[in-house]
Amino acid sequence: MQSLFILKFLRNKISWLYLVSGGFLLCTALLGLLISSVHIPIPTILHIIFENTFHLGWVEGIAKNEEMIIWKIRLPRVVLAFCVGASLALAGAAFQGLLRNPLADPYTIGVSSGASLGAVIVLFFQLTMIGLGSFTLPVVAIFGGFISLLIVFGLVRVSSRSLAIETIILAGIIVSAFIGAIVSLIISLSDRDSMTQIIYWLYGSVGMRGWSHVQLIIPFMLVGICILFYHHRELNAFALGEDAADHIGVNVKRGKMLILLGASILTGAAVAVSGSIGFVGLVIPHLVRLVTGPNHRHVLPLSLLVGGAFLILADLVSRTIIAPKELPIGVITALIGAPVFALLLIRERLGRRGT
Amino acid sequence: MLKVQDLTGGYSNPPIINNLNAEIQQGEFFAILGPNGSGKTTLFKLVTGQLPFSKGKITLFGKELTSYSKLEKAKKMAVLTQEAQVAFDYTVCEIVSLGRYPHQKGVLKQLSKKDENVIEEVMKLTNISHFKNTPFKMISGGEKQRVLLAKALAQEPEILLLDEPTNHLDIKHTFQMLDLLKERQRQLGLTILAILHDLNVASLYADRIALLHKGSFLEVGDVNTLRKDEQLKKVYEVEVKPGSHPTIPKPQLLMTPSYTAPSHSVSLHHSYRIKQTDEFIHIQFDQPLRTISNGVIGDGIQWVKHFCNFHVSKNYHCHDPQRDVQTWLTTNSISFEQAVGMMTAVMLEDAVIVKEEIEGISMLVIVTAGVGNAVDITNEAALAPIPTIGTINTMLFIDAHFTDGALVNGLMSATEAKVKALHDLEIKDPNTNTIATGTSTDAIVLGLTQQGEKTPYAGSGTVVGKGIGQIVYKATKEAIIKNLQRASRKNK
Repeated sequence: MQSLFILKFLRNKISWLYLVSGGFLLCTALLGLLISSVHIPIPTILHIIFENTFHLGWVEGIAKNEEMIIWKIRLPRVVLAFCVGASLALAGAAFQGLLRNPLADPYTIGVSSGASLGAVIVLFFQLTMIGLGSFTLPVVAIFGGFISLLIVFGLVRVSSRSLAIETIILAGIIVSAFIGAIVSLIISLSDRDSMTQIIYWLYGSVGMRGWSHVQLIIPFMLVGICILFYHHRELNAFALGEDAADHIGVNVKRGKMLILLGASILTGAAVAVSGSIGFVGLVIPHLVRLVTGPNHRHVLPLSLLVGGAFLILADLVSRTIIAPKELPIGVITALIGAPVFALLLIRERLGRRGT
Repeated sequence: MLKVQDLTGGYSNPPIINNLNAEIQQGEFFAILGPNGSGKTTLFKLVTGQLPFSKGKITLFGKELTSYSKLEKAKKMAVLTQEAQVAFDYTVCEIVSLGRYPHQKGVLKQLSKKDENVIEEVMKLTNISHFKNTPFKMISGGEKQRVLLAKALAQEPEILLLDEPTNHLDIKHTFQMLDLLKERQRQLGLTILAILHDLNVASLYADRIALLHKGSFLEVGDVNTLRKDEQLKKVYEVEVKPGSHPTIPKPQLLMTPSYTAPSHSVSLHHSYRIKQTDEFIHIQFDQPLRTISNGVIGDGIQWVKHFCNFHVSKNYHCHDPQRDVQTWLTTNSISFEQAVGMMTAVMLEDAVIVKEEIEGISMLVIVTAGVGNAVDITNEAALAPIPTIGTINTMLFIDAHFTDGALVNGLMSATEAKVKALHDLEIKDPNTNTIATGTSTDAIVLGLTQQGEKTPYAGSGTVVGKGIGQIVYKATKEAIIKNLQRASRKNK
C-alpha cells in the first residue's frame, strides 16, 4: 500500500518535471520572440505563427515587416537555437550514459572537433560543392564529424579489441587535440578576412541562418532522437558495466555502436548549423540527472527539452546583453556553463564526503 | 542441462582451458574450485560467452550456446560476479529492474505488471525491499551483492552462474547469501554453477565440485572429493588436512602453514607445575598439549594447557556442571577455553601422582579414585538410580607424538589398565556382586607433548602402549587402595 503510494508520488514528480520543463521551453521561446529592438506584441506574434503554420490567423492587418521579422528572422532563430541545444544536450546525455562518465560530452569523443575542422576547411578554401551551394558547409561539417568518429573507433579497435570505454575517451581526446592543432594551423595560414570568419564561426551562433538551416538539422535530429530514445534501456544497463549489460541480454556491441552513431549524428548536425557551442552537452544532462535521477527513460527527453530552452535563453542573452552588437553564443554558454559545472563538481565532492 | 565438451580456449598460447569436459545437472549446485591462475575465470567467461573458444562445444538444454540470441540466453542464464561499480545514482529498485531487460516486450519496453511483481518478489526474497529507493552507491558491500543477486534472479533464470560471489563479504553475509541461493535451488530447482575459492564453504553448500588444475578438471565428484588431501596439496601447494564438520556430515579442511614456530624440545617433567589444594588439583603446562578427553569441559580432541580436577561434595547435584566448572576455573583465574576440567567427590589428598620414564618415554599420571559407585558394565542389571560417591579420574601425560588414531588407542590402553586394577583388587559392583569394570562417572584425559616422531599406534603391542598400561595400572591400584583405607578408617 505504502509502496504504491510512493510509486504514484514518483510518477507524479516525473510528470511535474515534464510540465515544468515544457513550460520553461515555451516561456523562453516566447521571450526569444518578444525581446528585441523592435517591439511586437505577443498576440501579434502568436497570430503570425499560427497564420503561417496552420493558416488560422485571427488578427487583421498585420504589417508586412512585422511578419517578416517574426517569421523570417526571429522564429527560425529560436527554432534553430532549440534544435541545436536539444541535440547537444541529448547527445551529451547519451555519451555520459554510455561512457559512464558525467564528464563526457560531444566534445570528448572528437565528433565536434571533426565537424569544426570540416567547416573550417570549407571557410578557408572557399569550397562550394556542386549541387549543395550554401549547404556545402553543414554537409562537410557532418561529414567531418563522422570521419573523426571513424578515426576514433579505428584507434580504439586497433589498440583494444573490446571497444573499451576508457580507450574511447582517450582516443577522443587524442583526435580532438590533433584536429585542434590542424584548425589552429589553418587559422594562422589564412588571410585576415577568412581568419575573422573562421574564428567567429568557431565561437558558434544561431543567428542569421534562416529556415534552410532548420530544415537541414531537423532530419538528422529526428533520426538521432529516435535512435537514442529507442536505446534508453541499454543506456541504463551500461551503468553496471558492459559485461553486466551483456549478462542481462543486451547486445553490447550493436547497442554501443548505435548509441554512438545517434549521438554523433546529433552533434555533427548541431555543429554544422551553429558552429561549436560548448558546455550545453556537459551541464544540461548533469543538471537533469540531479533532479530526475539517472534513469535514461526520463533523462533523455528532459535533457532535450531543457537543453533546447537553455540555448534559446543563451541566444537571447547573447544578442541583448550588448545590443545592438551580438556576443557569440558559445561565449554565453561557457560563461554560464563552466561555473555551474564547477559548482556541481564541488557539491558532489562535498556530498560524497558527507556520506 | 549445461554441457561442456572438449572445451579449449582463452587468450594465450597454449590456451588456458584445455579439453575440458563437464556436465551440470538440472537443479544441482556445482562448484568450481581451483587456485588463482588455474583458469577459473577464463572458464567462466567462456561459458558466459564473454570470451570466444577455439575448440569444443557448450550446450544449454541440448542446444548450442552460441546459437542462442542474447535475449534468449539471458532468459535462461543469469550471471552474478563480484563487480559493484555502478555509474550515477541509480536506486536499488532501478538496478533490480534491469534484470527484467530480457523479458520486456513491445515498442515502448515499459515494465509490465508481471515485471513489477517479479521485481517485488525478488527484492523481498533477498531482503532488500526496505531500502529499494536508496541509491545503490550508498549501501554496504553485502547489501550491494544482495541487490545484484536480486537483479540476477529477476531474470528468472534456469541456471545461475556465480563468479566468486562472496569474495569480499564477511562470514555473515557469505552464509546469508549462500543460504538464500540454496533455498532458491531447493524450492525452484534453480541450477547453480559457482566459482568458489573457499573450500570449506564449497563443501557446505555444493552438491558436486570440480577441481580445476592447469586448465582442466582434475576431478569432478561430490564434496567428499575434498577428502583427498594429496590431490589438494598438488593443486594448492598447501599442507591440507581433511577433517569433518562436527555437526554436518561434510568434509572440512584444515590448512597448515609452512612456517613453524621456533620450538625447543623440553622434557615433560620440567614443563609443568602442579598446584594441589583441598578444592582442586591444577596441572599447568608451559605449552599446550594435544589432548583427548571426556572431561566436563575441554572434551574431544583439543590443544589444552590447563588440567583441573575439582573436589565436590558427595551430594553435589547440578543441572549444569559445565557452567560450574567454568565458574571455578574463572575464580582461580584459569582460562576455561584452554582447560580440561573434571570433578570428583574423592578427597584430593588421596590423589596418586606417578612420574616415570618407560623405555625412554617420560610419563606422568595423576589418579583420584573412589569405588563406592563401581559398576560392572557387562551386567544386565538396571542402571543405579543415582550415582553415589565414587569416580576414577585419570590424567595421563606422555612425551610423545600421537596421531588422532593413537590418541584413541592410548585411551583404550589406559582403560584396559584401569579395568585390570579393579579386577586385581576385586572391586565389586554392589548391585550385582560381580567384579566391576569401572565407576559410572569415570573421566580421563590423555595429553601429548607432540614432540618427536609421529606414532600411529598406542596399543598393547607398542612400547608406549605397554608403558601406559603399567603406569596407569600402578597409579589406579594405589589410588583405590588409599580410598579403601580411608573408607575402612571411617567405618571404624
